[in-house]
Amino acid sequence: MRRKIIHWTICTLVLFCLLLGVTVFSLCVGSVDMSLEKILRVILEGKDTTEHSILFDIRLPRIILGFAVGGALSLAGVILQGMFRNPLVEPYTLGISGGAALGVCLNIVLGLNLVLGVFSIPFSGFLGAILVILVVYSLSMKRGILRIQGLLLTGVMISFIASSLIMLVMAISRVEDLHGIIFWIMGSLEEPNWFLIRVAVLVSILGLIISYLFCLSLNAFSLGEEQALHLGINIEGTKRLLFILASLLTGCSVSVAGIIGFIGLVVPHFVRMFVGGDHRILLISSFICGATFLIFCDTLARTIISPLELPVGVITGILGGSLFVYALSKKQVVLG
Amino acid sequence: MLEIKDLICGYDSKFFLKDINLRIEAGELVGIIGPNGSGKTTLLRAITRVLKPKKGTILFEKKDIWQMGYKELAKRIAVVPQDFAGVGMSVEEFVLLGRIPHFERYQFLETKKDLEIAKRCMALTDTTKFKNQLIQELSGGERQLVVIARALTQEPMLLLLDEPTSHLDITHQVGILDLIKRLNKEFGLTVIMVLHELNLASEYCQRLVLINEGRIHKIGQPQEVLEYRIIEEVYKTLVVVEKNPISSKPYILIVPEEERQKERKNGTKRIDSNLYRRW
Amino acid sequence: MRRKIVLPVSLTIASLLGICAIAFYFLLKLPNNSARKVELSPCPQRIISLGPSITKGLYLLGVEDKLIANTIYCIEPPEAKKKEKIGTVIKINIEKIFNLKPDIVFATSLTDPKAKEKLKNLGIKVITFSTPRDFSSICEQFLELGKLVGKEKEARKIVKSAENKATSIKKKTENLNKPKVLVQVGAKPLFVATGRYFVNDYIEFAGGVNIAKEAGEGIYSREQVLKANPDIIIITTMGIVGEDEKRTWKKYKTLEAVKNGQIYIIDTDKITSPTPQSFVNTLEEFIHILHPEIK
Repeated sequence: MRRKIIHWTICTLVLFCLLLGVTVFSLCVGSVDMSLEKILRVILEGKDTTEHSILFDIRLPRIILGFAVGGALSLAGVILQGMFRNPLVEPYTLGISGGAALGVCLNIVLGLNLVLGVFSIPFSGFLGAILVILVVYSLSMKRGILRIQGLLLTGVMISFIASSLIMLVMAISRVEDLHGIIFWIMGSLEEPNWFLIRVAVLVSILGLIISYLFCLSLNAFSLGEEQALHLGINIEGTKRLLFILASLLTGCSVSVAGIIGFIGLVVPHFVRMFVGGDHRILLISSFICGATFLIFCDTLARTIISPLELPVGVITGILGGSLFVYALSKKQVVLG
Repeated sequence: MLEIKDLICGYDSKFFLKDINLRIEAGELVGIIGPNGSGKTTLLRAITRVLKPKKGTILFEKKDIWQMGYKELAKRIAVVPQDFAGVGMSVEEFVLLGRIPHFERYQFLETKKDLEIAKRCMALTDTTKFKNQLIQELSGGERQLVVIARALTQEPMLLLLDEPTSHLDITHQVGILDLIKRLNKEFGLTVIMVLHELNLASEYCQRLVLINEGRIHKIGQPQEVLEYRIIEEVYKTLVVVEKNPISSKPYILIVPEEERQKERKNGTKRIDSNLYRRW
Repeated sequence: MRRKIVLPVSLTIASLLGICAIAFYFLLKLPNNSARKVELSPCPQRIISLGPSITKGLYLLGVEDKLIANTIYCIEPPEAKKKEKIGTVIKINIEKIFNLKPDIVFATSLTDPKAKEKLKNLGIKVITFSTPRDFSSICEQFLELGKLVGKEKEARKIVKSAENKATSIKKKTENLNKPKVLVQVGAKPLFVATGRYFVNDYIEFAGGVNIAKEAGEGIYSREQVLKANPDIIIITTMGIVGEDEKRTWKKYKTLEAVKNGQIYIIDTDKITSPTPQSFVNTLEEFIHILHPEIK
């Protein structure tokens, strides 16, 4: 036991150092490269210099949002994969992103964002996500039992419906609106509004804390629902709560940062390969790892062909996918 | 210890179990037998609170199990399921899962006591040697032992087993049932197990519950239940019941179709059977 | 059963309330945001353009030395290619823009709204020009641009001369017979210039009838084209795609445009990103196609 605790502590510390390292790296590079020394000097001295603004108004918000969104998405991935005992489930398979995208689409097309301001976009996204969650949830609820497989199928179907509706909306919308929609769908960590960034951070950290209270239940779930019940887990309550938690985490990330794919699928798997399937360490290390990964990808996205900026989803997909395939070929993956 | 009163229970619209009345005393080793689809597993699922009864109550130590907390019940009743899950864990991790019901509210790590209990249970089931192996690397019999170790780690008063010996060779069948018998004798653990194999049930169980079409057909000691008339009626197969010369428990022999016809042609009345006479 | 729906319902209500509260908060804050962008310093010295037409306009107004950066799409006039690049029309590098310390940034409606918001928050003045719907709005925008860079007089002059040219062309074509025209902007799905797009003015000024004038946003079916039977088809997609499309149209032998060989391909760059001057130039090309008899 002590060995396990030491092992876990080391894992967490290493990941944390990695997170710090990537954060510093991300602060350093950009169209104006700064050395670590210079950053320190800027922090200590200049409040009104350009460098200060670049660090604290441009780079830092992106890093913080990357932390929140990356963490939240991979956390949701771990929760859902643990709950469904299905390695292919990810936050987006449940149709939450589709709902959010539809909400945003309608907002842009109906011109609500012109009346209510740019900030109404994330809220309409969130509203769409909540709506989809409710539909999926109530459709899979039968006699007080949340049917997990039904949940998955309904989610997939709803997300197909949502994406068709999005295409419908796009087909009849104005060219300018189309661009707004496409932007949003591509996903980006650029967020001018500090308030939204704070909300995202708060939600993801709260999500981590709440889900951690259920880490043992998730461990029990890996044996199957019925056996989890035999181990004294209130499976219905836990399933419901975890589903809603994962949905809120996803809905929140998606509505702030748009659709950034792959993190919720790949990061949990990757982490599981290294730390094992025990959710007591899996939850926390996936969170940190997801955050690190997204910050890193975003840094690449904005520097790799500077001054052009790639959509961050491109990098997460290419990098995450190839890393994963590589690891898969090296090590036998353990699913479930 | 366990008392089932007027239980009606089933899936969705179908009522599978009807009018089940059963009392099981502490320290008993009871076998539930019956043909496929007769409702054996359903009964087990009703006792473990997976299925909510339509009618009737199940009392454990005079308390309705549906009034008990989830953890409270899991501390008292442990289950060895038929199907197997839990890929990707080491045997030790898997066995330690059995301590979950004993955890305090905000406890995330096992205490020394938890580890010791797990260690003892692994020693008892002779699985200590697999400790660091992955669960999917074990053979069927070894796995079954590990699952029993996990159930024991829950420190239950009542152990439920759902066909613990299916898919096993006779070495492992005997090994596992010997272990269960020993647990029952030495630790006074009450055991209810669903068994397919009538001969095994006869050898190991003190009492048998024969279920047919959702009703209890007969309860009693092996020699009372395993009578050829009863077995033939329930299983609709021709059997010969003999006595094990060593344990003097009944054992059941089957008669293939070919032999039956031969028997009839020759006219020797060696089989005393309802079905035989009817043919 | 009733108790079981309490959790999701209460969660939804809570989140809805949250959304309302937050939306309300921003609604109250909104006037501040819009009030900020009105005041203008007399004459910006460091300009960044985020659209090809704006870049063209700035060169036309003779303030190219004040233009410090533009996008990689800004290739006209050729000198504009040599300017510092800060991204594409749609995705811009905020950090780089900020570091260049511009006095003013001219954006288009294609620019990422979040990025614009971010620049505003950083204290940079951002002016957005929407995609023009007709010739007069092209002129209006150009005048506005002229005003913003302190070249109002020059802008007026250019607009005046463009308007004069346009009116004289209109006069010439007024009494001629009007061919039915279709301007195709994209293929798969078939996308055409409708009355809501300034390209419509090319057709009408050059004395034609746009068969797709009422076609909403521009998605159009080939069936409708066959029914309306245009005399002239103009394809604005470039290179291979344009040739492909030309071949596709030629399959429909009943079309007047096919019978008379009246299918043309025009370089996309000439049509999009218009200034008043380039509008007139392109208009002359349309005249060539629609009414070659006018010299």
